[in-house]
Amino acid sequence: MSKFKKLVDFKNWQRNTKTVAMVILAILVLIFVLSSLNVSEQDMLNNASPAVKQIIEEEKTSSRKSLTITYNDLGVISYISFTTSGASAIKESYVGFAGATYGADEGAWKFAGQMVNYTYRMLGTGENLLHGVKLTLLLTTLSMVIGAIFSVFLALGKISENKVISKISSAYIFFFRGTPLLIQMFVIYFSVPGIFGFAWRSLFAAGDPEAVYKGAFIAALIAFSLNAAAYCAEIVRAAIQSIDKGQNEAAKALGMSYGQMMRTIIIPQSIRRMIPPLCNEFVMMIKDVSLVFAISLMDITTISKTIMTSEGNYLVFIPALLIYLVITAIFTFIFGKIEKRLSIYE
Amino acid sequence: MSDYQYILKTENLCKSFGSLEVLRDVNLSVKKGEVICIIGPSGAGKSTYLRSLNQLEKITSGKVFIKDELFLHREHNRTIHRAEPEAQKAMLLEMGMVFQRFNLFPHKTVLENVMIAQVLVRKKTQEAAKKLAEEIIERVGLSDKLDVYPSKLSGGQQQRVAIARALAMEPEIMLFDEPTSALDPELVGEVLGVMKGLAKQGMTMLVVTHEMGFAREVADRVVFMADGMILEENTPKELFDHPVNEKAINFLRSVL
Repeated sequence: MSKFKKLVDFKNWQRNTKTVAMVILAILVLIFVLSSLNVSEQDMLNNASPAVKQIIEEEKTSSRKSLTITYNDLGVISYISFTTSGASAIKESYVGFAGATYGADEGAWKFAGQMVNYTYRMLGTGENLLHGVKLTLLLTTLSMVIGAIFSVFLALGKISENKVISKISSAYIFFFRGTPLLIQMFVIYFSVPGIFGFAWRSLFAAGDPEAVYKGAFIAALIAFSLNAAAYCAEIVRAAIQSIDKGQNEAAKALGMSYGQMMRTIIIPQSIRRMIPPLCNEFVMMIKDVSLVFAISLMDITTISKTIMTSEGNYLVFIPALLIYLVITAIFTFIFGKIEKRLSIYE
Repeated sequence: MSDYQYILKTENLCKSFGSLEVLRDVNLSVKKGEVICIIGPSGAGKSTYLRSLNQLEKITSGKVFIKDELFLHREHNRTIHRAEPEAQKAMLLEMGMVFQRFNLFPHKTVLENVMIAQVLVRKKTQEAAKKLAEEIIERVGLSDKLDVYPSKLSGGQQQRVAIARALAMEPEIMLFDEPTSALDPELVGEVLGVMKGLAKQGMTMLVVTHEMGFAREVADRVVFMADGMILEENTPKELFDHPVNEKAINFLRSVL
């Protein structure tokens, strides 16, 4: 039976696959319905109080702006707030949901509005790649990929018969697993430029307003990659050494060189065994990335802490936790799929 | 016929693991086309001897000749002489090895298992490798399993693929390390059948085995090993019917 036919043949799907598919389908339909019903920014503006509308009208022609309008659209739900400062301070906010607009200055809608606003900020919507969730994902993925590639060489180095290479690899792994990631990041961010007389931000154009962030990102990426490599190296080494010695002997008896054997026989087989611990490592890394708060990068954790300090709302951590859970769930799912795909021959 | 006397010869081959002497002065000469079965109680060093021949074990001392050329000479764990790397590789490729536990590559299909070393080591094109692989797989009777992974095969089928994989390197000698010991009794026959076919085609074979029937029927010579030494060496008829060595007599009494 062709792959497509199998896919369409619902009756023969496994029961839990069916359940999962139904749930996902239901969620997708719900999202679609809600987002098509979502209230537009213009409609939300029309709902504002006469006082706010008056200020908006006045400020259309003046260059002085006293009114701050924050509009956060999360697709299925949106939030708008109007604030002015001064003697007659205005502060009102609304939540748009399922085609209707609700005043969000008190009660449950206030909570909903805050959550939309916080989530919006933590997702880094409207900002560049170095903010919020995007920063977390970018830093985790890049440093895991770089670290994993580097770790293969470290692992092969550690099990190498060449004593010097083996000792160097072991020392590297020992050092990076034996010291805190935070301090490793400090060393790369502060000490390395200090010793070699450069600044991370000077890697970018002088006029670039994001140069500081970009420089910090590069430093963090280096620190996380070097650290991930050490942890992954132990995973890779264990996986390689778990492959039956008979594979080794068969390859040798067929005249393969060490490199050929590793490349075509041992490493491909060990990759499947690496997936579960690598997934574990990846999930830890997602959360370790929050350490970048110490070098002024705005990841999910930093943003939630900033909101907590400036607005004193301790509920800000709810969306932060949920965002981490969703990211972790997605990556666990992906790794599970990869593992299954790689087990095809077993 | 050939410009050498012995295709494979060992002189005073010794191997010890620490203070345990596994092989003691093993001398054996194999002529082209000969089928030699090595029998003996477990722990006699039969497998170690076979593995020493193609460098899976490092010998302690002794000489290994291939086609009358000195391949390796070691004394007291030191290498005195070793063939040049290129020649060494060529000499090793003269030997094909079949393992007790098959050691097929589980992530490769049957066809890929038989092709991979041809492409990587013999530097053949994919097409040429595939052509030969298909031919050899047909010879071991598994043409319908080309694209199957080893885990889907029975033990007997796996061992036949392993034989095909070794044959695809076109070796002059085949080394069999207890090829049927890991098989269910009803699967032994199909593997022995393939081996008999090979012997009939004139392949030089060195077989460590517990299948006395096979040894009696196919072998040109049978070697009895115990305690790391060759204690008796004769035609199967003589060795099975009139053993001389005391240990051989006891061993044969217990297995026959």
